Amino acid sequence: MSSSSHNSKGKVSFGNLIRLPETGSFIGFVVVYIFFAILGGAVFVGAPGWSSWLNIAAEVGIIALPVGLLMISGEFDISVGSIVPASSMTVAMLSGHYDLPATVGILGGLSVGVSIGFVNGILVTRTTIPSLIVTIGVMFAVMGLTLGFAVLLKGSTSVSYVPNPTAKFLLGQFINYMFSVAIFWWFAFVAFFYYVLHISPIGNWIYAVGGDRESARNAGIPTSKVTIGLFMASGFCAAFVGVAQVMTYQQAQVAGGQSFIFNSIMCVVIGGVLLTGGAGSIIGILLGTMTFAVVNQGVFFAALDPNTGSIIVGALLLIAVVSNDSFRKFAISAASKKT
Amino acid sequence: MEQIKSLFYRPSAAAVVALLSVTVFYIFAGVEFSKLMGAASWVNYAARIGIVALPVCLLMVSGEIDISIGAMIPAGAMTTAIISGHFELPMIFGIIGALSVGVIVGVINGILAIRTNVPTLIITLATLVGMQGVVLAGSKLLTGSASVPLTAPDWAKTLFGQLMFGGNHQVIIIWWVVLAFVFWFFLHMSKYGNWIFAMGGDKESARNAGIPVNRMTVLLFVLTSSSAAFVGMCHAILFNSAQVSGGMNDIFNIIVSVVVGGVLLTGGFGTVFGVFVGTLTFAVVNKGIDFTAIDRNWANLIIGAMLLIAVAMNESFRAFALRASVGKKGATPEPTPEKAT
Repeated sequence: MSSSSHNSKGKVSFGNLIRLPETGSFIGFVVVYIFFAILGGAVFVGAPGWSSWLNIAAEVGIIALPVGLLMISGEFDISVGSIVPASSMTVAMLSGHYDLPATVGILGGLSVGVSIGFVNGILVTRTTIPSLIVTIGVMFAVMGLTLGFAVLLKGSTSVSYVPNPTAKFLLGQFINYMFSVAIFWWFAFVAFFYYVLHISPIGNWIYAVGGDRESARNAGIPTSKVTIGLFMASGFCAAFVGVAQVMTYQQAQVAGGQSFIFNSIMCVVIGGVLLTGGAGSIIGILLGTMTFAVVNQGVFFAALDPNTGSIIVGALLLIAVVSNDSFRKFAISAASKKT
Repeated sequence: MEQIKSLFYRPSAAAVVALLSVTVFYIFAGVEFSKLMGAASWVNYAARIGIVALPVCLLMVSGEIDISIGAMIPAGAMTTAIISGHFELPMIFGIIGALSVGVIVGVINGILAIRTNVPTLIITLATLVGMQGVVLAGSKLLTGSASVPLTAPDWAKTLFGQLMFGGNHQVIIIWWVVLAFVFWFFLHMSKYGNWIFAMGGDKESARNAGIPVNRMTVLLFVLTSSSAAFVGMCHAILFNSAQVSGGMNDIFNIIVSVVVGGVLLTGGFGTVFGVFVGTLTFAVVNKGIDFTAIDRNWANLIIGAMLLIAVAMNESFRAFALRASVGKKGATPEPTPEKAT
């Protein structure tokens, strides 16, 4: 009875299946994959194709997970775009420039992310400023700090670092010269966030905060702690991607990382998370990220102009939001009819 | 005393304070005031983001947001350059073409905003990405390159792309000031302004009061994207070429200017004058740093700190003003003329 998990009554009907929030994202993924499989041919369906889009998906996906949770709780995090270069710069500075052990560098990079997340969370919960504005401000500040310190300490905007074999093996290795080890980390993060959102009580708190913050607080949920914790999680994940990048490319740049801001939001939205908070799932975010990555890399295999990729992503985004909208109306109307 | 106090109740108070403190800070950091005033770089920059910030202000007051502007600036430039540069059609077609691209994207944004429940941030994110692809792929397809040269006739140069006073001030500064007056009249003097504030306060009540909410929303989206296309067109005419890249940074810069100017992201609050000052503040911070002894690399840190401080000031000034107006029993907090009825 493996399928019974979908339905508490142990009965799977077509109607229930189609009303699952992830169905739309799944159909989207299948359609997009088939489209590029036909155009891209055997190379795209084979190992080279899978590795190329999975590598992209892993990087964006690790950030998209906590960003999705934040969006479910009704908040935004723009600052991830500056945390990625900030943390990889920290690693390269500590372990590359100052020759400290790799562990110190990695811990330094990750704690930069966690602290920035903490600042975001405190600012969002203690003031009435919307999180979009707070994190834009923090993004500018972190960008300035990264650039300023890099030039001040190193005198250049890029720092190289050759990691030791263990660190390289754990965070920056390519398996079979193709599959980045970040893919496995991504799956681990998916499992962890799945547990947090769908199994642990914290998940219910997150949905409740996104649904109605005031009622959630009145029901005894520590709303401020939930929000601060989520911002710290997104800071941590963005920093993790930064660390993995410096291990992979053996170099840290002050620029870059900006693309993660909108890309992570797009993955989450294609995955069916409501921007207004209160709805969404980890499986949806996973599927959204995979769809995004397939389009992103598929255009190269399909020999299309790479720029058509962003037209397709834009169209997908619109289809996703419009269909999620109607899916949800349909599901809610069906549910209210039953009672 | 009462009058000085009431100055701080104005929505633009924080923006003015921010502009003054940034200028004072830069003077202490070693910039010569007269040199900064005479320089063109920051005024040109203020005009570039200011022309787009004005309609974005109106849109935000009505409770919506538009980030597709980031793709519309290069889209306007490319359309002008492709029509009048690559295909060598008369300049007027290029200008009309750029503006109509703006109108079309604005209508798409607006229709999607009123027909679905999707937040406008996501709708315009989709059109942002989509338009970037269309502009890039379109210019590759039509011209085979990502940068198109353009030679504009004299009248177009004079109107849109000239340097004034023999110096480095671009003519779009005048456009910016004129448009600021137009938008000021529109938002604060005409009945449409009251409609926009009402929409930002409560859309449902505004609709019930007979305000054509849907038509106004579409109109505001058309204004933002055509203004962005206008800025792109002016730049193509000024620099004699158009590039597909650029514009992404403008998104955040424009939002920051508008928010520093005292507009509430959630709608219903803000002034055109505040946004004008907010844009000036942003431009002084961003370009003025070149005149100081501070390393340019710290500019973003100052922008981030300024944004957070200015927004925090906005919040407390607003709370302060609202408390004060509640305290004065019987006195009307804002003189809102009832022209509509």
